[in-house]
Amino acid sequence: MTETIFWMAGLTGLIALATAWMFTRQMLREEEGTERMRTIASHVRRGAMAYLFQQYRVMLIVFVAMALILAVLAFGFEVQSRWLPVGFLLAGLLSALAGFYGMRTATAASARTAHAARTSLGRALRVSFRSGAVMGLTVVGFAILQVVFWLWIFNQIFPYSDGSGENLMLATTTMLNFAMGASFQALFARVGGGIFTKAADVGADLVGKVEAGIPEDDPRNPATIADNVGDNVGDVAGMGADLFESYTGSILAACALGAAAFLGAGDMQWKAVLFPLAVAGLGILASIAGVFAVRTREGAGQRELLESLSRGINLSAILITAASLGIVFLLGMENPWGLWGAVVAGLLTGVIIGKSTEYFTASSFKPAREIARQANTGPATVIISGTGFGMISVAIPMLAVAAGTLAAFMLASGFDLMNLSMGLYGIGVAAVGMLSTLGITLASDAYGPIADNAGGNAEMSGLGPEVRGRTDALDSLGNTTAATGKGFAIGSAALTALALLATYIEVVRASLIRTGVTLLDAGNGLMVAVGEASLRDFMHYFGVHLLNPLVLVGIFLGAMAAFLFCGLTVQAVGRAAGKMVDEVRRQFNEMPGIMDGTQEPDYARCVAISTKAAQREMMLPSLLAVAIPIVAGLLFGVAGVIGLLAGALACGFVLAVFLANSGGAWDNAKKYIEEGHFGGKGSAAHKAAVIGDTVGDPFKDTSGPSLNILIKLMTMTAIVFAGITVSWHLF
Amino acid sequence: MKKYLYLSIIPESLIASMLSPEEFGNYFAVGSRKRSRGQAVFFELDSSQLRDVDLPWREMDARCVPHPDGTPKRSVYLSIYRVLERVPLEAFKDLYLATDDGRVLALQQGAYDLQHDERLHFYQELCPVTPRVVSTLTPKAFSQFITGGSNTLEVPKIVFCNLILRSLRHDPDSEDIGELPYENIGHLRDCLREVAVAKEKPTKTVERQLRGEIMYRTVKDGYFVGEGEHILYYPMPDRSKLEREYYEWWRSAQAPKLA
Repeated sequence: MTETIFWMAGLTGLIALATAWMFTRQMLREEEGTERMRTIASHVRRGAMAYLFQQYRVMLIVFVAMALILAVLAFGFEVQSRWLPVGFLLAGLLSALAGFYGMRTATAASARTAHAARTSLGRALRVSFRSGAVMGLTVVGFAILQVVFWLWIFNQIFPYSDGSGENLMLATTTMLNFAMGASFQALFARVGGGIFTKAADVGADLVGKVEAGIPEDDPRNPATIADNVGDNVGDVAGMGADLFESYTGSILAACALGAAAFLGAGDMQWKAVLFPLAVAGLGILASIAGVFAVRTREGAGQRELLESLSRGINLSAILITAASLGIVFLLGMENPWGLWGAVVAGLLTGVIIGKSTEYFTASSFKPAREIARQANTGPATVIISGTGFGMISVAIPMLAVAAGTLAAFMLASGFDLMNLSMGLYGIGVAAVGMLSTLGITLASDAYGPIADNAGGNAEMSGLGPEVRGRTDALDSLGNTTAATGKGFAIGSAALTALALLATYIEVVRASLIRTGVTLLDAGNGLMVAVGEASLRDFMHYFGVHLLNPLVLVGIFLGAMAAFLFCGLTVQAVGRAAGKMVDEVRRQFNEMPGIMDGTQEPDYARCVAISTKAAQREMMLPSLLAVAIPIVAGLLFGVAGVIGLLAGALACGFVLAVFLANSGGAWDNAKKYIEEGHFGGKGSAAHKAAVIGDTVGDPFKDTSGPSLNILIKLMTMTAIVFAGITVSWHLF
Repeated sequence: MKKYLYLSIIPESLIASMLSPEEFGNYFAVGSRKRSRGQAVFFELDSSQLRDVDLPWREMDARCVPHPDGTPKRSVYLSIYRVLERVPLEAFKDLYLATDDGRVLALQQGAYDLQHDERLHFYQELCPVTPRVVSTLTPKAFSQFITGGSNTLEVPKIVFCNLILRSLRHDPDSEDIGELPYENIGHLRDCLREVAVAKEKPTKTVERQLRGEIMYRTVKDGYFVGEGEHILYYPMPDRSKLEREYYEWWRSAQAPKLA
């Protein structure tokens, strides 16, 4: 039975990839529209591919360098598995491949969506949403196949039927290290993509709207294609890589925690590793069913479109809730209701965070409308109000994660606070539960830029008002899903990082075993074998408590890292946007035919500038994200690192929610005014709201999403370098 | 090459050009090197109706000639002072509205057959003076009031447009201002209230002069050229027509002016 479930999980990965391929074929069979529509789409497509290939060139160098460092750790210092360099490269490659495929599909889908909108709203929704689903299904497909592949490989080399269960524990903790490849890829995609998209957006707006007086998405603006490329780079490739990392990390963390919790429990240990994998696999099937349920009638309004999307997501959530109950009993897990409760706690946490994000950012609710009202009194009150709502908006997601974590811990541990290993396994399972329907939630997020680009294509191609009406409706829905998607990504990153943090000690255990330490001083003169030591023993051995100054210093450094990283990415957008402004000005000055439409702007050059600036500007923040946990480990040891990760997680999560929600609220407050409230376009209120939106742009699309990566990457780096931390530290 | 005569409203001037109205509008808005930007409102004039008017015709013949490289002369300013009053109504052809980035919309004269159910009106005078006023007078009556000879404060001829007031046209205290982009709505309400009750005072100045540019989307019925009893009316297409047939101009006209 367990073997069948294991292979079925792998099969769901293949089903996901096959469905993604089928959706791509269906989309490619659609017509791309007029010559003008095809030309615009090809500009965006070429720009997106140019960005990706440039990024992959830089990544190749970084990945090779990192693989060499990991090889030195593994073969030179012998503090890491010798499989790590290969696993690291494979995870990075699969994440990049998912991003590449998702981007190709998304950029091919925009003109086809615009063309479909010429005849039917329902058809346009189907083309755009299923194209977005390609990204979601590719991510989950590659991720689960990767986990199944490595579990199978390790079973061939170190059979799990060794009796002690140590092989399985070692395999799962080793595999966890491989996720660093996904983390690195996510770092490049998210931070680089975030800088690219906002440099292009701000650059296009500053010169296009302010200096040349031309409207948004006007083909005369040299940066308009870069702006459209940026939407894909940020919200398709960036979000995909971010969630690939979360998805892989959460499954691997849950597997590792399960293997540790049931160490020496015979078959139950393998079942505990299989359970998160099975939940993820069932989630893929539920997501596919959900994608097919998304459809709408002709002439549907905003609310109906949102309902049709919610129908798909809700169906997936209901299916996975029921199916995970079935699988928990089919596997014969201990405490089945408790583990099922942990899955549901994770799912509910995701739903609550999504709803909270929607409330604080959508223009149909009070916060965005109140910010719009404040625009009547100028930009200062817009900034004050948006900042205030952004801060308030962290309460619900924090409470949701806190309640979800606590519920998952208590349910899985049988309401025994002392049963740390089962409780932490519950948290890992909750993270998997939250991300189980990633196939469809990522689809709804990747759908956003497709609809946005379709709207831009319709504008630039001069399609009729009824077509623009349809693409506007899809675009508006995309804005809402993009905002909730960001909230979901942040929430899942926090829960994944929490699960990874719990796994850190398991990796430390493996590192101690690898470096030859056999006994731990568990206090009161008690010596415990490393393999059998409980988490409490480890906490005592490393002095992980709040009165230890190393832990406190670590917490402060973690909080600092979040702000430092955030500030650096915001500044990077400013500098990169400056370069874009110079280029757009140059083109307007040197190519006067642009303005009267007799000369085509050099779109490719703007894409190249944004690409180059993004790659260069992301280096310093990225380096910091990797260097800080390593240096903290070398200085303050395991206690300092745990403090650092806790500080970065708590502060980074709060900051990310604040940045994403305030930015989203400013954006939608501006859109609310543009709909004709408080004076509409061109009014003083509108000008004030535009300032708020511009301030919020790098918040919501660069720094906020990049913090997801920071909190996960710091934990992953700490995990990979745990062997070094254990062996060498100053204090 | 054909020569055109244009009467620019902002600023008031008479200009000769070898560019067609659309080309001239684009040039006037963004310049020959496309480095400047600014709205333009101008009429094409029928030169055959201007023969008896004292204008520098010789200057036009001498200077409005193609450049040595054969390119057309873009503009020759012929007069910049008290031009409107010298141009007879018969000489007015189409009105052209150019946006900041050089998109041009042509408006043709239509029959003045406006029916008004509201008591309050809002006018933007464009030439020769540029105050913004509220009034109880219909466009035709307002034109007569300001050019008819019975008022001590008057001009010989006037170009103006009426602006949307939405619910304020019936109720100055209405809270539902929706898409009205006017600054200092409180002052506008005060003026509307005052003019609504003052029988002896049909108009009230809201702003002494035009600040910034005309927000085309706020124009209600269209543009008017008035001289005593006579009035020319240039109806503005409705929104759906602008969306459908003049989308590029309409998009550009709606683009927020951020600087």
